Amino acid sequence: MNSKKNDLKSLELTVGDVFSKNARLKARNVNVFYGENKAIDNVTIDIGSREVISFIGPSGCGKSTFLRCFNRMNDTIDSCVIQGEITIDEENIYDKKIDVVPLRARIGMVFQKPNPFPKSIYDNVAYGPRIHGLSENKEHLDNIVEESLKRAGLWQEVSDRLSSPGTGLSGGQQQRLCIARAIAVSPEVILMDEPCSALDPIATAKIEELIHELGNEYSIVIVTHSMQQAARVSKRTAYFHLGKLIEVGKTKEIFTRPKHNQTEAYISGKIG
Amino acid sequence: MLCMLLKNTENNMNKKIINPEDATNIVKNSIVKRRSKDSRLKLFGRVAIGLAVCFLLFLFYSIFTKGYPGFFQYYVTLDINFDRERIDPKGDLSDNSLFDGDASAIVNESLFFIIEPKGRKEKKLAKKIVSSGKDVRIAKMVKDDPGLFGTVTKVKFALDDDIDSFLRGYIKRETPESERRISDKVIGFIDKLNEEGRISYEFSDYILSGSASGNPEMAGIKGAFIGSILTLSVCLLIAFPLGVATAVYLEEIAKKNRITEIIEVNINNLAAVPSVVFGIMGLAIFISIFGMPRSIPLVGGMVLALMTLPTIIISSRAAIRAVPPSVRDAAYGIGASKLQVIFHHVIPLAMPGMLTGTIIGMAQALGETAPLLMIGMVAFIVDIPNSVVDPGTVLPVQIFMWADFAERMFIQKTSAAIIVLLGFLIAMNALAVYLRKKLERRW
Repeated sequence: MNSKKNDLKSLELTVGDVFSKNARLKARNVNVFYGENKAIDNVTIDIGSREVISFIGPSGCGKSTFLRCFNRMNDTIDSCVIQGEITIDEENIYDKKIDVVPLRARIGMVFQKPNPFPKSIYDNVAYGPRIHGLSENKEHLDNIVEESLKRAGLWQEVSDRLSSPGTGLSGGQQQRLCIARAIAVSPEVILMDEPCSALDPIATAKIEELIHELGNEYSIVIVTHSMQQAARVSKRTAYFHLGKLIEVGKTKEIFTRPKHNQTEAYISGKIG
Repeated sequence: MLCMLLKNTENNMNKKIINPEDATNIVKNSIVKRRSKDSRLKLFGRVAIGLAVCFLLFLFYSIFTKGYPGFFQYYVTLDINFDRERIDPKGDLSDNSLFDGDASAIVNESLFFIIEPKGRKEKKLAKKIVSSGKDVRIAKMVKDDPGLFGTVTKVKFALDDDIDSFLRGYIKRETPESERRISDKVIGFIDKLNEEGRISYEFSDYILSGSASGNPEMAGIKGAFIGSILTLSVCLLIAFPLGVATAVYLEEIAKKNRITEIIEVNINNLAAVPSVVFGIMGLAIFISIFGMPRSIPLVGGMVLALMTLPTIIISSRAAIRAVPPSVRDAAYGIGASKLQVIFHHVIPLAMPGMLTGTIIGMAQALGETAPLLMIGMVAFIVDIPNSVVDPGTVLPVQIFMWADFAERMFIQKTSAAIIVLLGFLIAMNALAVYLRKKLERRW
């Protein structure tokens, strides 16, 4: 009962439909503090399964912080405190009983800067399956690597040099390698933190195409600075401002008929 | 013009920002001063490097010119009659039998045959010309090759250290007899041997294969060298894993709080503690409390490990801190556990830096004398240690001891030992560079 009431409180702030019919991830009244500093203020949102949702907002609005709450990457920061509840398939990921290792296998992440391991392309993709024991034998692992690279649209470019270093690829290729690495452990959700901000337009276009395709199989949450990108890849969009979730809605509606005046100001370029 | 400029700036004092033309002029005027500062700094740097190189060259020059003769010594060639009856009375080549034998007398007879000393006094002097290791040498020869028995073979024997110093010119013929260590008679004998072409200057077979000895001509560094290797091995085996584990724990696992801060400060302080203090601690703990024997490389290695730990910890922590956080993020993001992140990513990437620190620590330990004096590794030990629990000494301590001896020949031996120590050090550093390059080559 209590949580319902809280939901309503949060709704007072957020415009649009935060809930989703077939929600995979549910965030309820999430607050994040960095020491004294409140970075996320009472955010409630659902993320549906097989949905691409983008988080937009000006720099420092907390969208990346919020994204990192979903796979508990904020745990690595000592001063970071998280309140509220985030569930995946009705399981609270901040429950004491939940082990963060299998959680991160379920919720993969792609970072802003391409960060392949300083190992071979093959080892980069095979690393996840190896540590989680997902492959039965060498052949199976080979298949996982090949399939992941194919899904990430990188197979054709690297199939003949799997043993060369992953760090020797171009920026766009590295980022696709990171995506391949993330999907090699068969996650349910992929979090992407400004995956294209370090890439040129051609590489960006490729990644966007890839996100579009992957959206049929995974839930994807993408943080982006580019409104055009949000418009191109996502079905839903959430607008953050100063740690608050201002508006959520269908991407088309957000960009054409924003309900909240702050959203409108951002979309039209008055702030941010 | 400058005046105008100054006036301009004065006028501009009240304004908040200088107009672009004035700014350009001010910059132009100050540029000469700044450039000269730059070039002065460059000059100072070059002078400093030049001085350092000069000192280094001088150091190497003086050590090598002094130490190089230490690898050589004078030998006398004598015709030895390998009479089995006299050398090996029992005929079984056992140590006992060879010890009972009369090898020294055979050598002396052969020597007397050439220099013809007259009377008991002269014979006594003549006996001292050949180093006292002569019987040991013959015993070794017949053991290696019993076929020598019954033959007359030319054998080289080391000359006594005073004779050696005389031949090198350190003891001068012109010095009055009463003031030099060898008498006119002995000089006469040596001249005779020289005339016969019996004296030769050759690479010493004692310096690299002998151990500590009271006779300078027979003293070698093998014992100390092996002792150094054993001690350093113990030191490395203890300090490296312990240091790396501490660094990993402090950087990756421990929460940053008061206690870790205190630990950090103390580790940094330990790095500056004089090494002799560690020696006293080793004496108090390992020898007094645990009752371990003195003079053994095991205790020496443990003391040196304590001494090098701070160095290894500090450099390992710096190396770990230099691992890009993006790699950790990537590994955590895919679901690696803390242990996996550390062992799969952090340690391999930090390894070159850790190794550098370790080698610096080891080099420090290699040259350390003071703490080892405290635990008794300064004892006069003739036997070459076979294990870490045999009494032994190390190179720097050997150098320290030799430098203290009165005999002239020990000066060369000391310099020779320093060359070996430096060679050891350079070899270790070369290994470090090689390992670094090899580990770093993995992209």
